[in-house]
Amino acid sequence: MVIIGIVLAVTVFPSEEKRVRKRFRLLSEWVSKSPGENSFTMLQKMKNIGTLFLEPCELKAPHESLSGSYPRREISAYAGSARSHFSQLDLKLYDLKVDFPEKEVAQVTLTARLIGKATSGEHVDEIHELECHMKKMDGKWFFSQVKVVEVLKK
Amino acid sequence: MAIHRRIRQFFFPSFTPAFLIRVCLVSLFAYLFFSYLCIPFTIQGTSMEPTYPNGGVDFCWRLRYLLSEPRRHDVVAVRFAGSQVMLLKRVVASEGEQVEFRDGKLFVDGLEVVESYVRFPCNWNLPSRRVEKDCVYVVGDNRSMPIENHYFGQTSKIRVMGGPLW
Repeated sequence: MVIIGIVLAVTVFPSEEKRVRKRFRLLSEWVSKSPGENSFTMLQKMKNIGTLFLEPCELKAPHESLSGSYPRREISAYAGSARSHFSQLDLKLYDLKVDFPEKEVAQVTLTARLIGKATSGEHVDEIHELECHMKKMDGKWFFSQVKVVEVLKK
Repeated sequence: MAIHRRIRQFFFPSFTPAFLIRVCLVSLFAYLFFSYLCIPFTIQGTSMEPTYPNGGVDFCWRLRYLLSEPRRHDVVAVRFAGSQVMLLKRVVASEGEQVEFRDGKLFVDGLEVVESYVRFPCNWNLPSRRVEKDCVYVVGDNRSMPIENHYFGQTSKIRVMGGPLW
């Protein structure tokens, strides 16, 4: 009974770290694209991606053109546009290290690997280390800042 | 007969408790050694050719810089993402030094550096820049591509995981 109780408590009331990790799982699931994905799924995923981000979310990347503060709508549109260039896409997120520097604030360091096949037939395999800041609002965690770590600076 | 028995015992050992303990200890040691001290990796990419060809296998020796700092001409493994993805590059300058490329030649603090390991033609030009504190400047040996297509620059010493075994 005690064991069942513990299992139920962990399942029904997951820890904050598990909730944060779940947001990354959703991001990975929604960014990924299987061959022959239909328009309905594509639109649904596009819409869902935006719901993971805070309004607005800051993006910091070594390429200046990508850096900036974006509203959800733009993030969804950008994700949709980027996904449309691929016939197959797989976003893998691993080595997640979750810290809580303040209450309702999470800082996550992770490795993101994007493997895909462009519609032009080109094979894509990109790896980056990301630093994400998340904020908890209304019981849910949202990305407030996503930074691509610049390992080598010319 | 004794030799035969020993050879047979070596290849077909009896599953005694002592043998199982030995297997466990060897496995544990191998796991710790190859996970944290001597990490195997495969080279993907041509950035360090011809010194380290694409597809080669090597080990990252983590204790290489335990008591010393990376120095010019050292080949180092730089942590790129997570604990599994590393960049293999060569240190060309240390903190406080000025790095510059003129017509494919490397200059550090205004003096030309002879680099015998650079075998392919290079025509890079990069204005002078100072290497920041606690950083090293790393470049690949293969500089035959345009400068925009080669991933190089300064990185924090904390990211230097060690050096290749060979």
